Amino acid sequence: MLKCGMSGNQVKVFGKAIQALSRVSEELWLDPEEKGLVLRAVNSSSSAYGYVLFSSVFFEHYQWSTSKKMNDSGRSFCLNCKLGMKSILPIFRGLNSFERNVEMCKIFTSSDTCKVVIRFFCRHGITKTYNVCFQESQPVKIDFKKNMCCNTLMIQPRLLAETMVLFPSNQEEVTLSVSPLNLCLKSSRGGSKDMTNSVYSEMFIGPDEFDFFQVGLDTEITFCSKELKGVLIFSEATHAPVSIHFNFPGKPVAVSIVDMLLEANFILSTLGDDPSGACSPQALCLFSAGKKSDGRQSDSQAGRRGAPQAPESISRKAVPKRLCPRDTPTKDLVVEDHGQLQPKKANLDDICKVCKSRVGDTDKEPNSFSLGKFSSIFFGAVSSEPQKHHPQPLENLAMASDSEED
Amino acid sequence: MPFLTQRVQAETDQYCFVASLDNVRNFSTILKAIHFRDHATCFTTKNGIKVTVENAKCVQANAFIQAEVFQEFLVQEETVVFRVNLTVLLDCLSIFGSNPMPGTLTALRMCYQGYGHPLMLFLEEGGVVTVCKINTQEPEETLDFGFGNANVTSKIILLSEGLREAFSELDMTSEVLQITISPDKPYFRLSTFGNAGSSHLDYPKDCDLMETFQCNQTQVNRYKLSLLKPSTKALVLSCKVSIRTDDRGFLSLQYLIKNEDGHTCFVDYYCSPDEDVPAAESPV
Repeated sequence: MLKCGMSGNQVKVFGKAIQALSRVSEELWLDPEEKGLVLRAVNSSSSAYGYVLFSSVFFEHYQWSTSKKMNDSGRSFCLNCKLGMKSILPIFRGLNSFERNVEMCKIFTSSDTCKVVIRFFCRHGITKTYNVCFQESQPVKIDFKKNMCCNTLMIQPRLLAETMVLFPSNQEEVTLSVSPLNLCLKSSRGGSKDMTNSVYSEMFIGPDEFDFFQVGLDTEITFCSKELKGVLIFSEATHAPVSIHFNFPGKPVAVSIVDMLLEANFILSTLGDDPSGACSPQALCLFSAGKKSDGRQSDSQAGRRGAPQAPESISRKAVPKRLCPRDTPTKDLVVEDHGQLQPKKANLDDICKVCKSRVGDTDKEPNSFSLGKFSSIFFGAVSSEPQKHHPQPLENLAMASDSEED
Repeated sequence: MPFLTQRVQAETDQYCFVASLDNVRNFSTILKAIHFRDHATCFTTKNGIKVTVENAKCVQANAFIQAEVFQEFLVQEETVVFRVNLTVLLDCLSIFGSNPMPGTLTALRMCYQGYGHPLMLFLEEGGVVTVCKINTQEPEETLDFGFGNANVTSKIILLSEGLREAFSELDMTSEVLQITISPDKPYFRLSTFGNAGSSHLDYPKDCDLMETFQCNQTQVNRYKLSLLKPSTKALVLSCKVSIRTDDRGFLSLQYLIKNEDGHTCFVDYYCSPDEDVPAAESPV
């Protein structure tokens, strides 16, 4: 059962986080944990993942209690609460007036009622109560070691926002090019050579504009600007700088805002380097929404059957997806991926791991389980990651067994 | 407007209704508050003019503009009744634009010769005169909701600022608006039941926006939200609203509107409850 309360100022930040996550997905997971409340969103093509952790001290009061029965079985309990953005966004509308009008906001829920109750105690004694129905769905999680990225930049969000505003609003992708001399944000040239977008913009930001500027590798990455704008929306509510962590094209980029009370991470996939080479977009497409396409999932599925955070969950090193969501990879392609990826995986700096498990999936495939298990053990042998054998809750991914995706 | 007055003076006798206004917005703004259908019936007596709009035989809105608001107000008979297209009337009244330059006023003179004749509008701004002739129709009988003080079970008077935000944010995916008025908690509650879930807006009886709270028995009534939503326009213009329900569950909303000259006008909405028996939702 979750019970938490926020003041008017705090709920404004909370609402901004929801607005930012609405740029990622139409659905939001409310995932309370011991340490705080996590909001998660992943887009339909699994190329963008956002999560915002509000630590328990962010709230006026925070209580997450699981029933004794669940705790005894040794598994930590998930609320499994997925809300539609259409349901929850209107509740957090008009945030600027919240500071003035809202004295307290309380959120409580329990899994047996399948409802989240959001109650605002407003000026003049007025009370607004929203009972929002939620879908039972296991949250998708991600493990991304942003501290292990060779390029880390930290900048005041206002500067970044001012730069982004200069791009045309229909600019879907941006390219971030970095060298020890400066950072360049420019319009993405895109794979297609169409000349319909005739405006090309380029903005340079010198290292002295950054709070922190560490460039280990001269590189150029291209990613969707929509989610980046979402992060900037959230940054308006906090006073912390935005940090950007990335390696090279094809690896995801993490855009984060961290302060003492909360942590927001938006992990976006980047376009692969050479369209014809090994890093082709299709080869990188690993997190399909479809159930049948990803054989790799079944290893963790078997490991986690019925237990979303079983210790056997192995984090696989997976390269994040391409940006074009339309093609879902077939199973064959996934098998190819294994072959292609293994040489890359020898690179111990590869820190992007994403695991997915599907609980209660009807496709029980023992064969692919053994294949997956083999590859996981292989990765375990070469990986320098110590916590592979001591998985923390965040390493485990649970993929929603969304029947609506059938 | 001496030019117009000279011309029209001789013709005044043939009109059964004449009204003049220095600032047309004192009339048009109030009419916008009830503009949710195309047609309206106008009743004029020596006390003023009442414009009525109805929908689905369930909801009725009335706008009252007293004779004192007008610079000239003449009604030759007991009552003069006619039906006009309200959309066309409002278009004509705002013919010089709805956002005039500060300091400029558009003057209005309305004349009606009687049954079968069109409604004449003379509008003048900065020396430019527009003449509009709007055809009138056979007046239709308007509903009498039978809302007498005798059977009123609850009465609430609220400052409009307390309801404005609430009404504009009502979940339109809900078919109904449920109004609960009770001598015990939650006192006054507005509820919607939409696709996402339910929402409840509670006003305590000692709320400082609440001028009056009188309630003898708990009442829970549902009204079609689509019929009540247009009342938001009147709410936005008003400074106070009175909410009354009677023993049949009929709802009366009365809005007190102060126009630009400081005169008071009233708009009221009457609504019959939704036919289906409401299923009470367990309070959270």
